Amino acid sequence: MKPLSREASLVMVLGVLLAVLGFAAPAFFSPQPLLSRLSMEAPCLVATCGMVAVMLVRQIDISVGSQFALCSVLAGTLASKNLPTSLLVPTVLLAGTVLGGFNGWLVAILRLPSIVVTLATMVILRETVRWHQQGALLNLPADLQWFGLSQSAGQWTLIAAALLLTGILAWALQNLRAGRCLYAVGSDPEAARLAGISPSTTKALTFLLCGLLTAAAALMNLVQSPQVDPKSGTGLELKTVAAAVVGGIAISGGRGRLWGAALGLLLLATISPALTYLHVEAYWEKAVQGAVILLAVILDRKSSATP
Amino acid sequence: MSTAFHHRLARIRALVFRHESLLLLILLAEWITFSFLGRRFATWENAADILRHSAEIGLLAVALTPVILTGGIDLSAGSLLGLCAVIFGKLWRDAGFPPTLAAVTAVAAGAVGGLLNGSLVTRLKLPPLIVTLGTFSLFRGIAEALTRGTDTFTNFPNTFLFLGQERLLGLPTQAWIFFLLAGTAWLLIHRTTAGRNCCSAGFNPEGAVYAGLPLSKIQTLAYVGVGTVAGIAAVIYTARLGQARADAGSGYELLAITAVVLGGTSIFGGTGTIHGTLLGVAALAVLNNGLVHARQPRETAGILTGVLLLTALTLTTLAYFRSSRKPSRTQPSP
Repeated sequence: MKPLSREASLVMVLGVLLAVLGFAAPAFFSPQPLLSRLSMEAPCLVATCGMVAVMLVRQIDISVGSQFALCSVLAGTLASKNLPTSLLVPTVLLAGTVLGGFNGWLVAILRLPSIVVTLATMVILRETVRWHQQGALLNLPADLQWFGLSQSAGQWTLIAAALLLTGILAWALQNLRAGRCLYAVGSDPEAARLAGISPSTTKALTFLLCGLLTAAAALMNLVQSPQVDPKSGTGLELKTVAAAVVGGIAISGGRGRLWGAALGLLLLATISPALTYLHVEAYWEKAVQGAVILLAVILDRKSSATP
Repeated sequence: MSTAFHHRLARIRALVFRHESLLLLILLAEWITFSFLGRRFATWENAADILRHSAEIGLLAVALTPVILTGGIDLSAGSLLGLCAVIFGKLWRDAGFPPTLAAVTAVAAGAVGGLLNGSLVTRLKLPPLIVTLGTFSLFRGIAEALTRGTDTFTNFPNTFLFLGQERLLGLPTQAWIFFLLAGTAWLLIHRTTAGRNCCSAGFNPEGAVYAGLPLSKIQTLAYVGVGTVAGIAAVIYTARLGQARADAGSGYELLAITAVVLGGTSIFGGTGTIHGTLLGVAALAVLNNGLVHARQPRETAGILTGVLLLTALTLTTLAYFRSSRKPSRTQPSP
C-alpha cells in the first residue's frame, strides 16, 4: 500500500481533531472567535512561507522573530510620525528585505553557517529593539487599524491575502524555474552548480525573500492591534520551523511542499485553543506542541524507512 | 636559513594564529578597557561575582562542546534546566525529600532527558536540530504544566543555599563544581580515545563508521552528558537565586551555544576544544559584567555579543579558506 502523503495525513489528523472538537466543544466553531484566531495566524503563515523557502535551500533563519519585532517597531515609529501608509508599507518591506539580505550575504557570500549567523543577528536585532524602546509600547494611529476597514472585513482581507500569497508561492515553488532552483540547490548544491544554477546567489536571494515576507507578516500583525509591542515576534522562529517540520519540510533541504507547512501551522495553531475548549489546562500547550513535533519527525522517519 | 628555524617559526605562527590566542587577546582587551571604565571592575570581589554568574552557562557550554564536536546540536539544554529545577523544587517541598536526595534525582532526571534526545538522534537517525527543537518545547512545557505556570519554590534551607551564594576556600562554592567538571571534560575530550573519537565522528561521520568507531554510542553519551549537566546546573541555579521556577534557564541554550562557537568549535563538528569553550564563556561573562560596571545600557552586552560572534566567525572562516592544506568540505545541513 502506498503510504499517505504528508499533506493527506495532516488533513486526516486535523479532521479528527476538529471532529472531536465538534462533538465535545461546539463552542470552538462559533464564527467570531474562530475568525479572530485565523486572522491572528495569518501573519504567521506568511512568515512560515519565508522559513520554508530558507529551509528548502538547506539553511535556517532563526532571526525572523527579531526581524519581525524590528519591522513592527519601525512601522510603529513611522506611523506615529504621520508618514502616509503608501510610504510606510514600502519602507518597512524594504527594511525587512535589507535585514534578510544581510543574513543572505553573510551566509552565501562569506559562507558562514546560517544557524550561527542568524543566531548572532537574532540577538543583535532583538537587543537593538529593546534598547530603542526600553519595553515601551508604541501607540498606532486609528486609521491604520484593519486598513481603515471594519474589523470583520479587515480580518477576512488578512486571511485572504495570506492564503493568496501562500497559494502563489506554493505554485511558484513547484512550477517556476526560480522555485525549482530552490529545490535543486537544497537537494544537491554541487549538482545544481553543474547544472548552471548559482547556489550562493540562490541562497542569498532566498534569505532576502524571507526578510521581505517577515516584514509583510509584521505589517499584517500591526494592523490587528492598536499598539506595537516591542516583544512581538518572540519565538516566531521556533513556531515557523515547527510548522515547516510538521508539514514535512526536510531540515536537510530540497524536500517538502509549502501547503504541507501551511497545514502544519494550522494543526499547531489549533492545538492550543483546542486544549482550552476541551478543558485541558492551558499549561500543557508547550508540552503538547513539542510532542507533536517529535511525533511528526518520528512518523516521517518510520514511513520513509519502509520501502 | 636553516629548516629548524623555519619549523620553529611555523610553530610560533601556528600558536599565534590559533583561535584561542585571538580569544585570549579579546579577553585581555576587555579586561583592560573595563578596568579603566569601571571603578569597581578589577577587584577580587567582582572576579568572584563573574565566576558565580557564569557557572551555569559555563557548565552547559562545556557539556555542549562534545555534542557540537560530533556534529550535533542541543537546543533543549535550557528547557531541561528549567524542568530539572522544577523537579528538584517539587521533590523537596511536596515530597519531603532532603535537598541532597532531591538534587541527585533532579540530575538523574536530566540524564534521562538527555538520553531521550540521544536515542532519538542515534536510534531513529533524526536530525538533532529538530529533535531538540521538539524537546525544547516538550521539557519547558512539562515544567510549566507541573507548576501550572506560576508555582515558585522558595525558602530553601541555608545549608543548601551555601552551594549558590557562599564561598568555599575563597571562591564561590559552585565554581569548584564548574572547575571540576570542566577539568574532567578537558581530560575526556583531549586525553582519551573516546574524546578523540568525538572529533573524528564529527569531522567525517561516514569515515568514523568505516573505521569501526561506535558512533551512536559516542553521540548518545554526549547528549546524556548535556542532560546530566543541565540537572547539575539546575541545582546550582536554584541555590544561587534561592528559587526554582518553570522559566529557569530560558535562553541559556543560545548563550551556551554562542560561547561554544565563539570558543572556536565548528558548528559542523570535527574541530574544537574545551579550553576554547572556557575562553568563550569567559569573554562573554566579562563583557556582560564589565558593561554593567561601565554604566552602559544592558542591551549593549547582547549587541556586542552578536557582533563578537560574527567577527570571530568571519575571521576563522577566512583563515580556514586561506589554508589550502585542509580538505574542503561541503556545507552540511544546519
